[in-house]
Amino acid sequence: MTTIGTTYDPSTDYHALNAMLNLYDEHGLIQFGKDKEAERAYVANEIEPNTKRFATAGERLRWLIDHDYYDGDVFARYDADFLESFYAHAAASGFEFETFLGAFKFFRSYALKSFDGKTYLEDFPQRCAAVALDLAAGDESAATAYLDEMLAGRFQPATPTFLNLGKAQRGEPVSCFLVRIEDNMESISRGINAALQLSKRGGGVALLLSNLRELGAPIKHIENQSSGVVPVMKLLEDSFSYANQLGARQGAGAVYLNAHHPDIMRFLDTKRENADEKIRIKSLALGVVVPDITFELAKRKERMALFSPYDVERVYGKPFADISVTEKYDEMVADDRIRKTYIDARKFFTTLAELQFESGYPYLVFEDTVNRANPIDGRVTMSNLCSEILQVQEASTYREDLSYEHVGRDVSCNLGSLNIAKAMDGGLAGTVETAIRALTAVAEHTSIDAVPSIRRANDEGHAIGLGQMNLHGFLAREGFRYGSDEALDFTDMYFMTVAYHAYRASHDLAVERGKAFVGFERSDYAKPAGAGNYFDKYTDGRAPAAPRTERVRELFARYGVAVPTVADWEALRDAILRDGLYNQNLQAVPPTGSISYINHSTSSIHPIASKIEIRKEGKIGRMYYPAPYMTNDNLEYFQDAYEIGWQAIVDTYAAATRHVDQGLSLTLFFPDTATTRDVNKAQIYAWRKGIKTLYYIRIRQQALEGTEVAGCVSCML
Amino acid sequence: MAPISVPRKPLKLIDRVSAINWNRLEDEKDLEVWDRLTGNFWLPEKVPVSNDIPSWQAMSEEEHTLTMRVFTGLTLLDTIQGTVGAVSLIPDALTPHEEAVYTNIAFMESVHAKSYSSIFSTLCSTEQIDAAFAWSEENEYLQKKAQIVLDYYEGDSPLKRKVASTLLESFLFYSGFYLPMYFSSHAKLTNTADVIRLIIRDEAVHGYYIGYKYQRGLERVGEAKREELREYTYDLLNELYDNEVEYTESLYGGVGLTDDVEKFLRYNGNKALMNLGYPALFPAEICDVNPAIIASLSPNADENHDFFSGSGSSYVMGKAEETDDDDWDF
Repeated sequence: MTTIGTTYDPSTDYHALNAMLNLYDEHGLIQFGKDKEAERAYVANEIEPNTKRFATAGERLRWLIDHDYYDGDVFARYDADFLESFYAHAAASGFEFETFLGAFKFFRSYALKSFDGKTYLEDFPQRCAAVALDLAAGDESAATAYLDEMLAGRFQPATPTFLNLGKAQRGEPVSCFLVRIEDNMESISRGINAALQLSKRGGGVALLLSNLRELGAPIKHIENQSSGVVPVMKLLEDSFSYANQLGARQGAGAVYLNAHHPDIMRFLDTKRENADEKIRIKSLALGVVVPDITFELAKRKERMALFSPYDVERVYGKPFADISVTEKYDEMVADDRIRKTYIDARKFFTTLAELQFESGYPYLVFEDTVNRANPIDGRVTMSNLCSEILQVQEASTYREDLSYEHVGRDVSCNLGSLNIAKAMDGGLAGTVETAIRALTAVAEHTSIDAVPSIRRANDEGHAIGLGQMNLHGFLAREGFRYGSDEALDFTDMYFMTVAYHAYRASHDLAVERGKAFVGFERSDYAKPAGAGNYFDKYTDGRAPAAPRTERVRELFARYGVAVPTVADWEALRDAILRDGLYNQNLQAVPPTGSISYINHSTSSIHPIASKIEIRKEGKIGRMYYPAPYMTNDNLEYFQDAYEIGWQAIVDTYAAATRHVDQGLSLTLFFPDTATTRDVNKAQIYAWRKGIKTLYYIRIRQQALEGTEVAGCVSCML
Repeated sequence: MAPISVPRKPLKLIDRVSAINWNRLEDEKDLEVWDRLTGNFWLPEKVPVSNDIPSWQAMSEEEHTLTMRVFTGLTLLDTIQGTVGAVSLIPDALTPHEEAVYTNIAFMESVHAKSYSSIFSTLCSTEQIDAAFAWSEENEYLQKKAQIVLDYYEGDSPLKRKVASTLLESFLFYSGFYLPMYFSSHAKLTNTADVIRLIIRDEAVHGYYIGYKYQRGLERVGEAKREELREYTYDLLNELYDNEVEYTESLYGGVGLTDDVEKFLRYNGNKALMNLGYPALFPAEICDVNPAIIASLSPNADENHDFFSGSGSSYVMGKAEETDDDDWDF
C-alpha cells in the first residue's frame, strides 16, 4: 500500500495510473490502457507479494479452517478429491479484473485477509468457490453450476452473500430488511431493537413510520402529548450509526411515511440544509408513500387532507398504513371523528422536489400502483433502503415485557443480479434458473432469530430478488442507443424471458420440495386462468409476446435465446396452478453499486452517470471507473444519464416493470439548470407510466465556464 | 509572535447606497456568479465528518500533526479573506451587484474558516488543536504570507487588491488543499475531503470572479498602468511562490511529499495567472502533478458514492418553480 512518505513514481503508482483515466491524452483520447496498467501494477506489486501460498487446495482449506478463517462445516460436506478438482477448475479460469476499481474494491472489501489485515488469503476465483460450496450445501453439481455462473460473470450475488459465505467470522448473507412499526411504545422499542440487531448483521434496514401518531396527538386521551415521528427518526439515526458490521460498514437505514400523515412536512424538513441540529437527519434515508389521490388532488388544484393516524386507527380498527387513502379519502374527509389538517397538494409536490435538490431524498413509493401489481394477498405499505423491495407485511403485537403476543410478518430479501450482456452470451435460460436456485439457497440457510417476524416470513415465503445489471453496457456493445425504440423492445422482451424462466425455476423448486410458499392459494398465481390470474397478461394478448422490431428479433436469434410464446406461458401457468411456486417473490432490481464494479457492468438498468465515473467510498477513497465495452471509437453509444434525460429512463423502466413482481430502483438525473417543476413533471410522467417507486434524484452541476480543470474527461459535456 | 494585525486604517465601505435592482444588470456575470454561489450554499454540518474517526485513528502521529498544521494554515487564510480580503473589495466594486457578490464571498469564507474548526472538534482533542494553532502563530512562512496579502489589502490600489485576492483564492490555498486530496485518493479521511472539495468548489468560483473583475478593471486604465500592473502581478506571484516553497518544505519535508506539492503550487500559480488574464509563468513540464490530485480537483458535482460513505459534495439548492395545469393534464 502506498503510504505517506513513500516516494511517488507515476509509472508504478496505481492510483495515479487510474486517475489518468479521467484525463485526456495529448490527442484528446481517453486513456483506457492506463487503467488496465493500474490493475496489473496493483495485482503484481500489492496483491501477489502479500498473498499466502499453499501447495494444494486441501492444505489451504485445512489451514484456513484450523485458523478460524473458514467455516469447517461448509467444506466437510464435500470429499477431498472433489475439492481439489473444484479449486483447480476455479484457478484454470485465468480470471483477471477488467478495471483497477474492480480489483481494488474486491481486494479491499471482499477478499478474505489475515486478522492483522496484512496478508491476502483469497483471490476472486477462490471467493467464488467458497460462496458456491456454501450455497450448494454438499451438492457437487450445484456447486459447480454456481461457480461457473459467478466466474463467467453471468450471475453475481449481492454484497452480503458474496462477502460473507464460507467465512467463519461473518455477518448475514441477506441484503436488506423491512420492519413495520405500530402506534405503541412496545413496537417502537422493537423497531429500534431491530435497527440495532440487523445493522450488526449487515444489510440495510427500512422502517415504516406511517402508523405512528402525529405531533400533538393525544396519549391516553390527554391532548397534545405525542411528539410525533421526528424524535423516533433521531433515535433510529443514532442506532444505525452505532451499529456496524464488524466495522465493515456503517449501518444504514431508511424510514417511510405516508404523504397524508400529519407530520409529513416536519418529516421532510429534517433534510433541510438549514435545519436545526436537534431535528436534522443526516444519514437516514427518507421515503414518502404517495397514493393516487395525491396526484388527483394536485391535478384539481385542491388542498390535500392529512389524517391523524391515531383517529384513523380508532375509526377503522386497523393501522393507518393498512387503509388505502385513495379509496377512503372522501369518507375520511367527511368523518368528523378523524382530525385533519390541510396543505396545498401542488405545494407539497414542489416541496418534495426542493428537498430532492438539496438532499436527493425522499424516495417515492406509488402505493396504489404497487398494490395493483402485487400478486400476493395482503398490502404493501413501504419499501426498503434501495426502493426495490415491495412485499406484503403483517403487524406484530407485543406484551408489556416486549415479548411477542402475535408474530407478524416482516421482510428480509436476498439479492443477486445477472450481467445482461454475459447472460445473453450464455443463452440466458440456464443462468436464470441457477441464479434462482442460488438465491433460494440463501433464503433457506437464513434464520434471523433476532427479529422473529422476519424469520417467520422468510420461513413461509422464501422470498428472493433477482436483479439485472449492465443493460446500458449490453445495448452499447450491440450498437443500440439507450432509450431508443429498439432498446425498449429489447428490454421488454428480455425481462419477459427472465420472468418466464424465474417462474419456471420456482415451480420446479415447489415440485422438488413438495410445497408452495404459504399463502400461495390466496395469491393471484392461484386464481383461475382468465379470472384475474397473474399470467393472464401474457396469454390474453394485452402485451406483445414477441419482439416488435427486426433488429431485436435477430439479436435474440443470434444469442440462441428463445422468447417464451403464449403457449409456453399457458403451460407454465397450468403447471403452477397445479403445483404452486416455492418463492413468494422472485424479482427485484437493485441499484447495484459495488458488485457492478467487480463484475464490470453498468449499474442496474440505468444509463451510465458519466463516461468515466468518479466513485468515492470510505474504504477505497476516490477512484475512476470506465464504462464496460467503451472504446474511443464507440463513444456515441455511451451518452450519460444527464444527456439521455429522464423520459428515456422512465420508458426503459416502464418496459421492465411489467415483468417484475417487486420493484426496480430508478434514479432520475437532472442538470442543475432544472427546476422543481422539471422534477415534478418527471414524477408525474413516471407515475402515469406505471413506475412503482422512484429512488434518488441526482443533480449534476457543471463547473462554471472558466473554472473547470483542463483535460478532465468527467468534466466534459 | 503576536497575531497578525488587522488594517490600521478604518475600512471605509461605500459613499452612498442606492437600492439594488437585480433586474437592471450592468454586467451579466454578476448574476451568473451570484446564482452559482447561492446555489452552492452549504454548511459544514451537512458532511458526516465523524465517519472519518476510524480512519483518523488509524493514521500515524506524524500524519495527525501534518493534517492539523495544514488546516490551521488554511483557517488563517480563510479568516483573512472572510474578515478583511473580500470586504476590502467592496468599496472598489463597479456595480451594486458586484458588491452583493463580495458580501456572499466574505460570508462563505467565514463558513470555510469555521469548517476547519468543525473538522478539528470532530477528530482531535483540545490539546492537539491548541498545539496546532500555536504552531501556526509561530511559523514564519505562514505569518509572512499572511502579512504580504494583508499589506496589499490595506494599500490604496483597487486593482492590486484584486490581484492579491485572486492569488490568495487561486494559489495560496492549494499547498494546504493538496493534503486532503492526497489522503482521499488513498482512502483516508474521505469525508473531510468532501468538506475540502466543497471549499475548493467555492474558491474556484471566487478566484475566477475576482480575476474577471480585475480584467474588466484593466480595460479602464492606460497602457502604462497596465504594464505596471502586469509586472506587479508577476513580482507578487514570485514573492509569494518563494515563500510558499519554504512553507511547503516546513510542512511536508518530513513526509517526502515536498516535490509533488511544489509541482502543484506551480500548476495553481499558472491557474491564478489565467484567472487574471495573463500567460503562464511555469512551463508545463514542471507542473506535472500526480494525476490522482488533478483528477480529484474537478469542481463539478458529479461524484457517485454509496450510502455507507457520506453525502459527497454533490447536491445543490433547487430553484422552486410552480407546476401549471398543463403539467397535471392526465
